[in-house]
Amino acid sequence: MSMQSTEQFSPVQYQRRSQLYRRHIATGAAFKAVANILTVDAYSKTIEEVQKASHLGLADLSTHPRLGFKGSGALSWLNQQKLQLPENPNQAVQQAKGSLIARLSQEEFLILNDLDMASLTAEKLEARYSLDSTDGVYLLPRNDSHCWLALTGIQAPDCLAKLCGIDMRVDKFANGEIAQTSLARVNAIILRYDLGVTPCFYILSDVSLTEFLWDGLLDSMQEFQGVPIGISALKKLSQDI
Amino acid sequence: MAALNRLPPPYGLLLNRDNDITFSFENRDYTGFNGDTIASALAANDQWMISRSFKYHRPRGVLTMAGQDANTLVQLPSDPNILADCENITEGQIVMAQNYSGKFEKDRGAWIAPFAKFLPVGFYYKSFFKPKGIWEKWAPMIRKRTGLGVIDPDFQPEYYDKQYKFYDVVVVGGGPAGMAAALQAAQSGAEVLLADENPILGGSLNYARIDVRSEYAENIRKKMIGDIEAHNNIDVMVNAICNGWFADNWLPIIKGRRLYKVRAKEIIMCVGSLEQQAVFHNNDLPGIMMSSAAQRLIHLYGVRPGKAAVVLTGNTEGYALALDLLDVGIDVKAVIELRESVPQDNDIVKEVMARGVPVKPGHAVFEARKSKNKQHLAAVEIRKIMEEGVCAGSGEIIECDLLCMAVGYTPTYQLICQAGGQLSYDDATAMFTLTNMPKSFQIAGSVNGAWNLDSVFAEARRAAIIACNALGKKAQTVPDPIIDHADISPNFRWPIFPHPKGKEFVDFDEDLQVADIINATRDGYEHIQLVKRYSTCGMGPSQGRHSALATARLVAKATNKTVAQTGVTTARPPFAPERLGHNAGRSFYPAQRSSMHYRHLEAGAQMLQAGAWYRPAYYGPKGSKSESVHAEVLNVRNNVGIVDVSTLGGIEVRGPDAGEFLNRFYTFAFTRQPVGRARYALLTNEAGVIIDDGVACRISQDHYYVTATTGGVSRVFQNMLQWNAQWNLDVDFANVTTAWCGINIAGPNARIVLQKLCHDIDLSAEAFPYMGVREAMVADIPARLIRVGFVGELGFEIHVPQHCGEALWDTLLAAGKDQGIRPFGIEAQRVMRLEKGHIIISQDTDAMSTPMEVQMGWAVSRKKPFFVGGRTLAELEKNPLSRALVGFVANDIEAPIPLECHLVLDGEKMTGRVTSCEMSPTLNKPIGLAYVVPEKAEVGSQIDIRSTGGLLVTAEVVDLPFYDPENQRQEL
Amino acid sequence: MKILTCPLNGPRNISEFTYGGEFHHMPDPKNSTARKWAEHVFFHANEAGIVTEWWFHNATSFWFLAERNTITDEVIRTFNASDIFSERQEFNDQTTNAGSN
Repeated sequence: MSMQSTEQFSPVQYQRRSQLYRRHIATGAAFKAVANILTVDAYSKTIEEVQKASHLGLADLSTHPRLGFKGSGALSWLNQQKLQLPENPNQAVQQAKGSLIARLSQEEFLILNDLDMASLTAEKLEARYSLDSTDGVYLLPRNDSHCWLALTGIQAPDCLAKLCGIDMRVDKFANGEIAQTSLARVNAIILRYDLGVTPCFYILSDVSLTEFLWDGLLDSMQEFQGVPIGISALKKLSQDI
Repeated sequence: MAALNRLPPPYGLLLNRDNDITFSFENRDYTGFNGDTIASALAANDQWMISRSFKYHRPRGVLTMAGQDANTLVQLPSDPNILADCENITEGQIVMAQNYSGKFEKDRGAWIAPFAKFLPVGFYYKSFFKPKGIWEKWAPMIRKRTGLGVIDPDFQPEYYDKQYKFYDVVVVGGGPAGMAAALQAAQSGAEVLLADENPILGGSLNYARIDVRSEYAENIRKKMIGDIEAHNNIDVMVNAICNGWFADNWLPIIKGRRLYKVRAKEIIMCVGSLEQQAVFHNNDLPGIMMSSAAQRLIHLYGVRPGKAAVVLTGNTEGYALALDLLDVGIDVKAVIELRESVPQDNDIVKEVMARGVPVKPGHAVFEARKSKNKQHLAAVEIRKIMEEGVCAGSGEIIECDLLCMAVGYTPTYQLICQAGGQLSYDDATAMFTLTNMPKSFQIAGSVNGAWNLDSVFAEARRAAIIACNALGKKAQTVPDPIIDHADISPNFRWPIFPHPKGKEFVDFDEDLQVADIINATRDGYEHIQLVKRYSTCGMGPSQGRHSALATARLVAKATNKTVAQTGVTTARPPFAPERLGHNAGRSFYPAQRSSMHYRHLEAGAQMLQAGAWYRPAYYGPKGSKSESVHAEVLNVRNNVGIVDVSTLGGIEVRGPDAGEFLNRFYTFAFTRQPVGRARYALLTNEAGVIIDDGVACRISQDHYYVTATTGGVSRVFQNMLQWNAQWNLDVDFANVTTAWCGINIAGPNARIVLQKLCHDIDLSAEAFPYMGVREAMVADIPARLIRVGFVGELGFEIHVPQHCGEALWDTLLAAGKDQGIRPFGIEAQRVMRLEKGHIIISQDTDAMSTPMEVQMGWAVSRKKPFFVGGRTLAELEKNPLSRALVGFVANDIEAPIPLECHLVLDGEKMTGRVTSCEMSPTLNKPIGLAYVVPEKAEVGSQIDIRSTGGLLVTAEVVDLPFYDPENQRQEL
Repeated sequence: MKILTCPLNGPRNISEFTYGGEFHHMPDPKNSTARKWAEHVFFHANEAGIVTEWWFHNATSFWFLAERNTITDEVIRTFNASDIFSERQEFNDQTTNAGSN
């Protein structure tokens, strides 16, 4: 896979476009492509952005691969794929290559690719799924049903407290914990998985509400001087341990 | 320049005297200090009258200095009804008084006061009900006279928001009890929030005098605040009002422009007590105030409350106040002691006597007298108390400009009663008491009847220990409760002295006098709740804070009941006035957008919101609806168009029992539906009423993709899950509505355009017939194609993954350019579906519509063993229809086009209504659907519709569909 | 705001849930009398006391049952629907009864 970072990319050259791409362009985003996936690399200098992200940042990962499986056979099939699965619902565990597997109920799982796209877990599982005879395992198109945002930084719990009725302070809502709840009046999956030492909350919500949620989060972040950040800053934070 | 009544430091705990602040009141400039409220700064400048009363326009001034009364409501330029004793002054602020006509000083509205005897309680009810219609004439005049501030119609909305907070223990009230409880809870390991509505912690320790030398309170206050600030486990919120209690210890706490939604595992209410007024003639004159108000003025704001004072008391606190007054140089003319004897062995009382203040035991203030300008207290007449509420025939006049009332308290019961606490009355202490606290909820301090400071601390700590034990913190022994002796109750049992001339106000907000309350009971309204509604007692801005106790006592006496039996009216949230902005917060109106949303905007679409979804109504300038829709329709009928159908619901039904499930859920039969085919799916509830429709596409043997209406899909999905929670079929459901976006390409040229982008399947009518379903690549995007058409032309519904929607839209428009493809909106789609006679669920159906009524009996299988609405429909089919939905055309082109909900008439009788009606661009006449009686359902029947302007339009019932009855065009 | 404890997600603000109506077993849709069927569809007991109700957690699309005291508004317990409906229900032309009673 080749990294292309010198060219200027335009989201309209890609089939898959985030609902937010116009907002990203208006905010001065520089995009980065990995294979056929275009994400926001950064809005400003990465070094500054890492600083901001460790305080309070919001990233759009909606074009980044993910998928879901559910059904009575999902647990055993995923086990056969030699994945580490969470014991209980509403927990997530990280795989060796960085992707996350979240258990949303006894019979439902969500797979989020790692930020570097090193693991290709989602792609591999999707390919395997269509080959195997998989009774009682049903694929969920999480790439398209949900947007994927990341709220990072030490102020993230305070910011979430303005939108969500669950106590997400770092000593109350553990790393790897998931809440499927109401955020700014819409349903959302909130998954805490820290990037290095920086608190990080992945937020997945109905894709048709992407702009509503993005705008609402940014508004809520203003009080703390939070800003949009690109994937570069996220990766940098994850290396900082 | 020093204001007339300003005291030097250390008086004025809340003041920062570095800078003067100038503001205006009634167009006159005043100066005050940082930390002053409007009321305190005015008082410092000897301006005592702040408002005019609601009914009689009487002069009113400082009463509580705690924001608990309506006397201090003033007008700011954009804000009516601001509490002048809470609102801090700011530089250049413009403050006006409220509720007067002409001049504040010479209120023309005050003419009404002498006519008070013609305005008895229940005046409106008695006066304006006859003759019929008279109220409408009087109402505008009365409304003009009443009401308080004025709203600013140019007001711009401001930013308000909300925040959740979570604590182990929330202590409401930062007085001595609250501080002690918070400290104890924090020391026991709990995370504590201590909230207080005042600018600083301390409560009564900030102004009350506990010892002769006035040192004790100050020392203990400083120590406790220091300890609290040093403790990491305590969050302090000041200027923060807890405005209610809701289920499971959920507290709305307002601070500034934010409403905090606080969840507490344990609550300790240390909300204190509200001092009560004595009831006597002219007790509302400026210059007459609660003893605590005078102490607040002195200690918090450094304002001398008068020059010559009389203290009316029934407790020892009146004596402590007298010392405070003496200390700041006020001539204390007398202490009027309501009790028959003066307490003997009390150091404070002894000190008052030692300083030469005359004490008059067994006396009351019989009336207050007005100054020359009638706006201030000038003297009081005191008389000996002969029996309860009855004074001697004559008495003694004492000139004074300040009368302080220290006759008792009411516990601040509002939040506690909301939580389920029960209010009773203790005759021994003459005080309301609170019992029956709910789980995880306690009270401590004066609200719990503790008046001795040591018992206040002990009780507060005890409550905190109980709370922490309940939280599972390290268990501690709970000390025994301490009950203060009834002797130290500060309440005098009957500080009410009716006067032959009345004007002994029970309720200042509503100008209600003793007789008003008594007469309400005599008019037959004996229950306290009825007294309230009939007399309006307690309905004003202070919500009975100072009238509830006196009213309960008066009603009890008048009805020969006990005060406990009489009780008080319900105190609902909010405790204090709150702004709509606090309730609204930020405006979270979720808006759903399809992936093609911005393309619609760029193409000039007028958007409408259907539920939360934005959808393109039509493409063209505002106001061009009929031409735009007309052109869009004709382009689809004659050429090709595309419409964004992403909002359409989509549910994956997968598993070995998928077919069996649909068979039970929808009205049609599905088990033998071939793979690669779509079938109409009509959904009824158990009552046989139509609640949704869509198509079920069989993608494979065990996999259906079912569509549902935009507004109905959530409920359909919920219903599926709920039924299968009972049936336990081997089937899985996934709501993929937004995961797939959809574009319907429709029109005779649709296939030509689609063929340019889709090569892996045969799109011909033979290979891919009407109601066929295929999976294919369209413009290199994996797609589901369904040959359905709501609009009745050759059409393909193309469903692709959401994030590819915009790319597909762009590609389709580019591919169809040569054919003149153009997008069409929801309005055109609605017209075309009507031309095809398709119903829209919940527009053409209502909460009673069955499939038979809407001519869809064909979509109901009678052979299945079971489906959800089946039994009810079978019962209903035993009886004749009571109405039918039919198609009609209005042949009279000149007549106004009937609209939705216009009535179908049979003579004078209403027999049905129009559900849809549009001008058909294809047929060139108005067509519609209407419910009619079954006799009129036959083709050719004439129906009368009452159209716009009451005009009767005759329409003819016709067969459906209106357009292409052979269905040849959609099957091309 | 009231808290309701979801068997899947734990205690949550009740605004996260949708009320699903009183729980009761469906009578035999084929053989029960019209009267009995009508009572099932149209008449709810609305008892003062402990009732069983359907509740739906919106964010997880999860149905469960709750026992609630309608006098005190206290929720006594919440539990999975499978505690009551553990078997596959069948309908056939003769009888059947779906609802186990």
